[in-house]
Amino acid sequence: MELFVARLFDGFSNGATYALIALALVMIFKATTLINFAQGEFAMIGAFFVFVLAVEQGLPVWLAVFVGMLISAVLAAGIERTLIRPFDPADHLPLVIITLGLFLGINALAGMIWGFNTRAFPELFPSGNALSFGQATLSWYTVGVVFVTIVVASGLTLLLNKTKIGLAFRAVSSNLESSELVGVRVGPTLQFGWAIAAAVGTLGASVYVANPILQLEPSVMGRVLIFSVSAAALGGLDSLWGAIIGGLAIGMVQSIVVPYTPFPSEMGLAAAVLVLMLVLLFKPSGLFGTPRVERV
Amino acid sequence: MATSPIFQLHEGTAAQRTYKGVGIALGLLALVLVAFAFTDTGQIELFDNGYTISLGRITKAVSYIVAVLGLQIVAGFNGQLSLGQGFFFGTGAYISAILVADYNWSYLSTLIVVVPVCFLLGMAFGIPALRISGLYLALVTLGLAAVFPSIVQLEQIAEYTNGAGGKVVDSKLVAPDWLPLDAIANFLQAIPLIGDYFGDGDLSNGEKEKIWVFMLMVVITLVCFKMVSNLIQSRPGRALRAIRDNETSAAVTGMNLALYKTLAFGVASALGGVGGMIYITETGIASPNDFTQLLSILFIVGLVVGGVGTLSGAVIGGLVIVFVPDWASSTQSFPGVPEKWLEGPTGNLILGILLIVLTFVLPGGVVSGIRRIKARIVRIVPQTPGGYTEVSGDETTATRTAEDATPVSEGATAPTDTARVTDDIGQEPVTHGADSRELP
Repeated sequence: MELFVARLFDGFSNGATYALIALALVMIFKATTLINFAQGEFAMIGAFFVFVLAVEQGLPVWLAVFVGMLISAVLAAGIERTLIRPFDPADHLPLVIITLGLFLGINALAGMIWGFNTRAFPELFPSGNALSFGQATLSWYTVGVVFVTIVVASGLTLLLNKTKIGLAFRAVSSNLESSELVGVRVGPTLQFGWAIAAAVGTLGASVYVANPILQLEPSVMGRVLIFSVSAAALGGLDSLWGAIIGGLAIGMVQSIVVPYTPFPSEMGLAAAVLVLMLVLLFKPSGLFGTPRVERV
Repeated sequence: MATSPIFQLHEGTAAQRTYKGVGIALGLLALVLVAFAFTDTGQIELFDNGYTISLGRITKAVSYIVAVLGLQIVAGFNGQLSLGQGFFFGTGAYISAILVADYNWSYLSTLIVVVPVCFLLGMAFGIPALRISGLYLALVTLGLAAVFPSIVQLEQIAEYTNGAGGKVVDSKLVAPDWLPLDAIANFLQAIPLIGDYFGDGDLSNGEKEKIWVFMLMVVITLVCFKMVSNLIQSRPGRALRAIRDNETSAAVTGMNLALYKTLAFGVASALGGVGGMIYITETGIASPNDFTQLLSILFIVGLVVGGVGTLSGAVIGGLVIVFVPDWASSTQSFPGVPEKWLEGPTGNLILGILLIVLTFVLPGGVVSGIRRIKARIVRIVPQTPGGYTEVSGDETTATRTAEDATPVSEGATAPTDTARVTDDIGQEPVTHGADSRELP
């Protein structure tokens, strides 16, 4: 029982990070019906910005996170403007190739600038445990990650539902042409989606590597992307709260279901891929997504 | 394309056959020269970097070429963007390594197992692809590629795959005695001016082995290319392209979508497996971290850089994804670039930038650029049942451009001999728009 509770808590902390990256993926999917394969690398380089600001420049750590989010938002808006917008959003192949190019390029750039040595990331949450049941302990880290995730999802929901730009964003994601006709400036609205996604991704990566058992290095987000993609697909690729539920579910699968199977923990990734495949096969709109109707 | 080409050859005439024959002969001669030039002395100095191309690297490139060729079938000709080619490449490499190391098979005979296993695995993964398409297929297949290292490290199969340490094969392919490699080497060395490039004296056993492996693998690769080229020009090949261009209309025309799409996956995966076998003959080790999702993404780079939906693009793509990172990692100084920037994964940065730049400026890949240049020099006029019709250059070009089958490039490719491969869809290759207008 104690082991079960411990695994449950692990599932929460992993799941919440997957949910944050999944939120970033969902924002981009809502804007451009595109999966940004470079999202994990965007987040990773954002975490490096935070690291530089906090450790090398000596900023307070949460201020560093905030500035890092701003920087990556501006960079992502620039990338959207220069590399994504020139292409027809309905034709996925060139866009997927562009994001794969970004994946390779950003990963290599981070490796060249910061090298492949691991670095300890500053702690974002107080160390120690909030609760403990015998050997199963709920650390402040887990509480913090879940809290951040809920705050981000609530913030995004408010942003999309209560602000003008949010309204424009929802209009563009539901019907691009009609919103253009009623005077929504489509380009900047999509750019806004990319910027928000990058900021959320940076926060997600910072929170992820702030885990005391993890360290920052350029390939840290490689696996997280796969987990987050399955989380986003499970929740429905265009649903914010679906991404949270999906992220937590994938986290639980990884830390609860997999240890009870005869396979080693390495297979968490395989389980995530299996979930992704099953969801796309049998319910492509996910749990909470809008079903896509394709006209022939 | 207002300028007319310098040479114009009619298909089926003696001149065209000579042209084709000379092309093939030059290609084979180049392969022999490469085999002997790069065994130990071949060097290419770009900006004093001291980078040496070894024949082993070229053989590795050959293995990537075959894998990219497979990707051309499923992604280029069938329009299913698969990011999972690395999975099958790895599977082929591991099966081959296990059979050679533990069961004393010879490298070539492992193909008997590798090809069917990868083909069936590919078919199996092609079944979900029937329902998942486009972007989602890319996601699932990327996941598949990411899982491969975890699968081969499973404890349950570690006694075969040797877990994280990687499977080492120390069996060698020894060149047969009847092959006069020494004589060829001595002959090449005796040629004035260029003789120095072929080393000195007789070949050592290691060099002989390298040359033999290279030649053998090139032969296998040529066979693969011939088979794929036949497939693409035959009825199933036309079906594959028809499905890529418009799935609904292909289904309405009576094509079995499920069959052809899984078939494309199967053939592509089998070629991935063959590539893996070639890889293992060169490197002698299959290690889990060589077959990550990065490898699959590199194959996509190869596909796009060479040219999506072109067979010759696979060759260029395979060479680029081996030699660009290789050259970059051994380059220590480059004029105008601070040395700090040359450490680390510069090659992947270049490939990433190349991928983005090419998508903007040359969406048909390097091959489409070459074809554009070639079209200014030589044009092969296709044979029609009504005999040769003199068509003005612009007209043929215009019609062919519209028909040309590369999905990303529109209007870049001009008629060449390779245009036969990317022929129009679904109909018997009898008449083309422009030609039939000229017919009585």
